[in-house]
Amino acid sequence: MGIRKKWAMSALVAFLVLSMVGCGSNNNAKSGDAAEESIKFASDASYAPMEYMDTDTIKGFDIDFIKAVMEEAGIDYTVTNTGWDTMLSSVKQGTEYQAGLSSVSITDERKETYDYSIPYFESTNMIMVKEGSDIKNALDLKDKTVAVQGATTADDLMSGIMGVDNTKLRRFESNAVALMELKGGGADAVVADIAIVNEYIKNNPKEKVTGILDKENFGSEYYGILYPKGSEWKAKLDPAIKAVIENGKYAEIYKTWFGEEPDTATLLSAE
Amino acid sequence: MDFRFDIIVHYLPVLLKGTLFTIGVSIVSILCGSILGLGMGFGKMAPKWYFRWPFHSYINFFRGTPLYVQILIVHFGVIPLFYGTTNVLMTSFVALSLNSAAYSAEIFRAGIQSIDPGQREAALSLGMSKWQAMRFIILPQAIKRMVPAFGNEFIVLVKDSSLLALIAAPEIMYWSNTMKGQYLRIWEPYLTAAFIYFILTYSLSKLLNYIERKV
Repeated sequence: MGIRKKWAMSALVAFLVLSMVGCGSNNNAKSGDAAEESIKFASDASYAPMEYMDTDTIKGFDIDFIKAVMEEAGIDYTVTNTGWDTMLSSVKQGTEYQAGLSSVSITDERKETYDYSIPYFESTNMIMVKEGSDIKNALDLKDKTVAVQGATTADDLMSGIMGVDNTKLRRFESNAVALMELKGGGADAVVADIAIVNEYIKNNPKEKVTGILDKENFGSEYYGILYPKGSEWKAKLDPAIKAVIENGKYAEIYKTWFGEEPDTATLLSAE
Repeated sequence: MDFRFDIIVHYLPVLLKGTLFTIGVSIVSILCGSILGLGMGFGKMAPKWYFRWPFHSYINFFRGTPLYVQILIVHFGVIPLFYGTTNVLMTSFVALSLNSAAYSAEIFRAGIQSIDPGQREAALSLGMSKWQAMRFIILPQAIKRMVPAFGNEFIVLVKDSSLLALIAAPEIMYWSNTMKGQYLRIWEPYLTAAFIYFILTYSLSKLLNYIERKV
C-alpha cells in the first residue's frame, strides 16, 4: 500500500467528517456548558411556512416556537433537518434525536408508536382547486382525482372519504409535487394544511387557484412534538409549552408568521 | 423487536396490485426500450457523423442524468406537451422506455461490434447482401453475447421503477409509502417492499439464466 492509497483514505475520512459537520446542527439557543442536559430535535424541513430550509438555515413557525419554549425551560437544544423518514426512525429509538419537531399531527394510530407533547398548534386541512371548479366541499372530491402529500392527515382524511386503495387518491412525496400536479392538470384538487395552501396562493398570485375551507368534513387537528414511547422529555417540556402559550409569546410568534391572532383558548383545552 | 405483521396483512391486497403495476410497466418499458434501443444502436454506428450525432446525444443525455430527474422532466414537461395534462401511466411507460432505450442501444452496439469484422467480410464474399450478413451471420452471434447484459438491464429497470413513487404511480414503493404514512412505522413497509422486489428480480434472474443456457 503506497502513500497514494493512504492519502486517498485520509481525504475520504476528511470528506466524511466535513459532510457530517456540514449537515449537523443549525440552531443553538445558547452554548451552555457540556454538563447541562440538552435535547436534539429532528425535523423534516420541507413544510413552509411551518419549517423549511432557507439555504442552510432552518426557519419557520415551529422553529421560532421551540426557541421560545426552550428559553422558557432553560435547556440547550438543536434542530436538525433530517428528512421525514430519518426523523421517524431516530425519534423512535430516541438515542441520537430525542424528539421530532415537524408539524406532526396527533392521531390515535400514531400514538401506538410514539408519545406526543401537549398540542401546540391548531390546524385544519383545506382544499385547493383551480378557479371555476365545481368542487365546493370535501364530499365533492369523492370521485375526483385528488393529490395529497403522503403520510399526512390530508392523506388520512381523503383515504377515509375515497378509500385507502383508491388510485384516484394520489399520494406524493411532498406538497410541492402535489401542487405541481394540480397545475399540470393531473389532479382536480389538492388537499393540504391550511398554512401550506395559503402560503402557496400567496406566493403564486398569477395562478388561478382558490382554497376551500370545509370545517364540517375536515375538523381541527393538532400538532404535537414527537417523543419516543415513555420519554422523560414530555414531562420536562409540557409545562414550558403551556407557559409560552399562556404568557403571550406564542401569540406574538403566531402573528409574525400568519398575521392573525391564534385561538389559544381552544388550543389549551384541546388535550 | 416489535414487528407488526398485521399491518402488512392489511396492506397485502394493494401491495399485490402495486406488484402487478410494477411488472406491467417493466415489461412494456423493456419491450419499447429494446425496440427503440435497437434503432438507436444502429444509429450510433452510422458512418456519417451528422447522422450519428443525434443518437449519440440522446444516449449521453439519458445515461448521464439521473432517472429521478428524467421522470420529473417527462411528467411535468414532456407529457403535458403531447397530452394536454400530466398523466401518470404515460409518464411511467415513457420515462422508463426512454431511459432503458439508451442503455439497450449501448448493449446492441457493443454486442454487434464485438463480432469479428472478418465474419461480415466472409458473409459478403459469399454473395450475401449487407442486410443478410447482419440478419443471418452477425445478429445471431451478437444476441448470444447480449443476453447477460440485457438481463442485467431488465433487473435494473424493475428496481428503478420504484422511483415512479415520486409522481404517485401506484406501484410497490408507493403503497409501502402509504403504509408508512398511516402508521408512522418504517420497517414493516420498507422490508416488505424489499422482499417483493427481491422475489421479482430473483425470479427474473433465474429465468434469464435459463434463457442464457437455451440461446
